[in-house]
Amino acid sequence: MPERREAGAALVLLGPASLMMVLMLVAPLAILARDSFNRYDPNELMIAAVTPANYLRFFDDPFYWNVLVTTIRVSVIVTIVCLALGLPMAWRLARSTSRWKSALVVLTVLPLFIGSTTRTAGWMILFARGGMLDIVSRDVLHIGTVNLMYSESAVIAGIIAIVLPFTILTLQSVFEGIDARLEEAAASMGAAPSRAFWRIVFPLAVPGVAIAGVLCFILCMNAFATPVLLGGPRFQMMAPLLYYAFNSDNNWPFAGAIAFILMGTTLGLTGLANLLIPRRYQAR
Amino acid sequence: MSSLILSRRTLLAGTTLLAAPAILSRRSQAAEQCVVGTWGGDYARLLRENIDDPILKPAGIEVVQDVGDESPRVAKLYAQKKLPRGAQDIACMGALNGYRVTDADLVEPLDETKVPNLKHVHPNLRTAAFVPHIYSAQVLVYNTEVVKDPPQSLADLLDPKWQGKVGVLSQGGNQWLIIAASLLQTGTTTDFDKAKEFLLKLNGNGLRLYAETDAFAPAFKSGEITVAVIWLARSVMWQNAGVPVKGTFPKEGSVLYVSGMAMPKNAPDKEAAYKYMNALLEPSAQQGFAAHMGYLPTVDNAPLSGKVGEQLALPEPAPKLVPPDYSVISKMIPDMNDWWLKNIAHA
Repeated sequence: MPERREAGAALVLLGPASLMMVLMLVAPLAILARDSFNRYDPNELMIAAVTPANYLRFFDDPFYWNVLVTTIRVSVIVTIVCLALGLPMAWRLARSTSRWKSALVVLTVLPLFIGSTTRTAGWMILFARGGMLDIVSRDVLHIGTVNLMYSESAVIAGIIAIVLPFTILTLQSVFEGIDARLEEAAASMGAAPSRAFWRIVFPLAVPGVAIAGVLCFILCMNAFATPVLLGGPRFQMMAPLLYYAFNSDNNWPFAGAIAFILMGTTLGLTGLANLLIPRRYQAR
Repeated sequence: MSSLILSRRTLLAGTTLLAAPAILSRRSQAAEQCVVGTWGGDYARLLRENIDDPILKPAGIEVVQDVGDESPRVAKLYAQKKLPRGAQDIACMGALNGYRVTDADLVEPLDETKVPNLKHVHPNLRTAAFVPHIYSAQVLVYNTEVVKDPPQSLADLLDPKWQGKVGVLSQGGNQWLIIAASLLQTGTTTDFDKAKEFLLKLNGNGLRLYAETDAFAPAFKSGEITVAVIWLARSVMWQNAGVPVKGTFPKEGSVLYVSGMAMPKNAPDKEAAYKYMNALLEPSAQQGFAAHMGYLPTVDNAPLSGKVGEQLALPEPAPKLVPPDYSVISKMIPDMNDWWLKNIAHA
């Protein structure tokens, strides 16, 4: 009974991880989904109910729409910049035969060894009034004070710094999987390197590039420390909004609704992006 | 063979019987443990140094700290209210949450016979079930090197000379500033319509918002701000760190922030919790917190001397110190935070 044995093996291999997922992810999400339909009272906290009020509150209010739009805008910009910067770096890294290749890979990964909050604190020292950029601009270049803190540009720069290594590593493994001899074949038929890249390598890499883009986009949509520390209280993104609903008022039902709206938007936009990729380039 | 099985069973039963006293007495030994839900960092360290080690340890009570943020800790009290045995003996929180958990009937009323030090607590800080541990006043903190004519009232901050130079806290909201604005406008702590009018004007004068109290000291140092509306305790900590700041009490009155502790109704060991509450009101513990965190003692028998005595001395004539009306504010806060987010932070 080989089929039965195969099914048994699959169960043994997939079972533990699936069980963990159900216990650690699906069950808490189910509880949170239920909570998001409850009512909130400042003194009682959560009152059992089945009401769409928390979702309606979000969608009825232009302020919350704005926060969602800002989050999507920042995430799209960061994703485009990361892909634009990451593609050439990853391709060069993948095709490199230099003895420094592993050192370059380590350099790419190195920022990941430092926590994102610590890295953001570094950006704060760079951007703040009295920070490094300010001192150089004021005292060395004499072009006046520079204060980049608490701006959307600062948040975008900070998130790019965090997400770029993930993008490069993902893209590098995609390019490593594409046979270099294809480019040699293209060159032998007279194609310039750029033509070979765009006509041969890139179409083959599209599914992988899409995965890198999705990874980047999801990380940005959920960014918390960078918007709080570099964006400041006047800049709103979804994850800090969710945290404040939960932490300043203990409003779990509304925080739960925000969480599901954020998750739904991220999944929806990711699915939409996948549909936009021409069918012949999609991974099968 | 059967006799062997029988004797094995007898042996097992005998062993269980012999072990029974030890198993049963474990419960009573563990009874001398007090689980304290608290903030981490300096606060937790000072609890250990001023209360746990010098007072409770010699009394045979082992203190276990359950470190976390205030909101999840309070949420835990609500979540565990139907359990016969909760997870905490003492839960640390601000007076506002202290009011809420009292109102929701989650905490044990105070008993002066079991917490004798309660008789020393300042009368305006006493409540039914919440022990005030430390408190501070919201003041106008200014840079002494730059400001020669410090503001005397929140209203002074509307002066264009302070444009872009005033910093306040904004952690999803700032109910304390809204309360202070109400106090300025009406003399009460609960007129939020009048408070909103003032705050919109103040925001229009280039109010700077900071998400963390720790962000104020660098902002003072770099000259980004010259005035902040924040707790006196913070200004003392910054002074100790070499930042040239001083706090003045606004003439319309200072809103009080009170931090303290409550005992859940289902606390596993109420006797230990009462002893803990009493210990935190001991003069030595109160003086320790004042010296290291700049908070004022909540009791009348813990005089401060030396540098901390000077730093925390109240000016003459005595400033008006106003505890908020928690019964009104507790219901208003979600709307206040929502208003703040949309009209002040997002303006």
